[in-house]
Amino acid sequence: MDNLGYLFAANAFVWSGVIYYLFRLIQQNAALKKDLDMLKAALEDDPKS
Amino acid sequence: MSEERLPESENDGDETPVLIWLTAAALLAAMGAIFLYAPTEATEGMVQRIMYFHIPSAWVAFFAFFIVFVCSVLFLWKRDREWDIYANASAEVGLMFCTLVLITGPIWAKPVWGTWWVWDARLTSTLVLWLIYAAYLMLRARSEPGSMRARYAAVVGIVGFLDIPIIHFSVLWWRTFHPQPKMITSEGIGTGMETPMVVALMISLGAFTLLYFLLMGQRVRLEKLKDEIDRLKRNRLYSH
Repeated sequence: MDNLGYLFAANAFVWSGVIYYLFRLIQQNAALKKDLDMLKAALEDDPKS
Repeated sequence: MSEERLPESENDGDETPVLIWLTAAALLAAMGAIFLYAPTEATEGMVQRIMYFHIPSAWVAFFAFFIVFVCSVLFLWKRDREWDIYANASAEVGLMFCTLVLITGPIWAKPVWGTWWVWDARLTSTLVLWLIYAAYLMLRARSEPGSMRARYAAVVGIVGFLDIPIIHFSVLWWRTFHPQPKMITSEGIGTGMETPMVVALMISLGAFTLLYFLLMGQRVRLEKLKDEIDRLKRNRLYSH
């Protein structure tokens, strides 16, 4: 008996887990980079800071 | 009391396309080796191929926690925030791979052992490892940022690593359901498996190691961006 369903399930968990984590990191990085750029722009516009 | 030093004002913004493409190519090669090159195991059948994901996930988790251990020691010694960033990032990536170990193991065990889980030494000590590093990340998430948080986390990161030798030797010290090591035996490396199986496993181990470095790079970059934003906000606050 080959139990292909179990092999498929293990594969699905591994790849969905890795891809979800990687894309979440990429998204968070992009969001923080945007915040950083906005903050830098605000600091440049504000002569007091 | 010595103050921890903040890293330089940069965010490692360079993407790492070479690493991304190398990792993608290695993962594709691993998939090819696992499903097209490696032979089907005689008694377990196709489900044995889960081993090619399970073992590399375990290897990466152990390697990641080793990096946590080393960076935690270096942080306590140097008090440099950079080591704390690397320890935190590696703990998170390691916990992700440890979770995959605890998911793929039972999926393999159900058709082979007839049960999802047994409380044997290898499985239980691996679950304990997962709980230790989950606690490590919860400690960091619930504490105020600063040198105290980093110091407590470093101690947990060092003590937690002591579970890994227990996991490794558990199948030798106690009678367990978990299979005995086949890759490295007393007769040599790879002698307990057919050569194509060893080759497929080695390719998979390499691919997962590259994946670790890719995820680490992203996670470290995230932490450094957070630090830089905090630093600029503080500067702005104090300048008014």
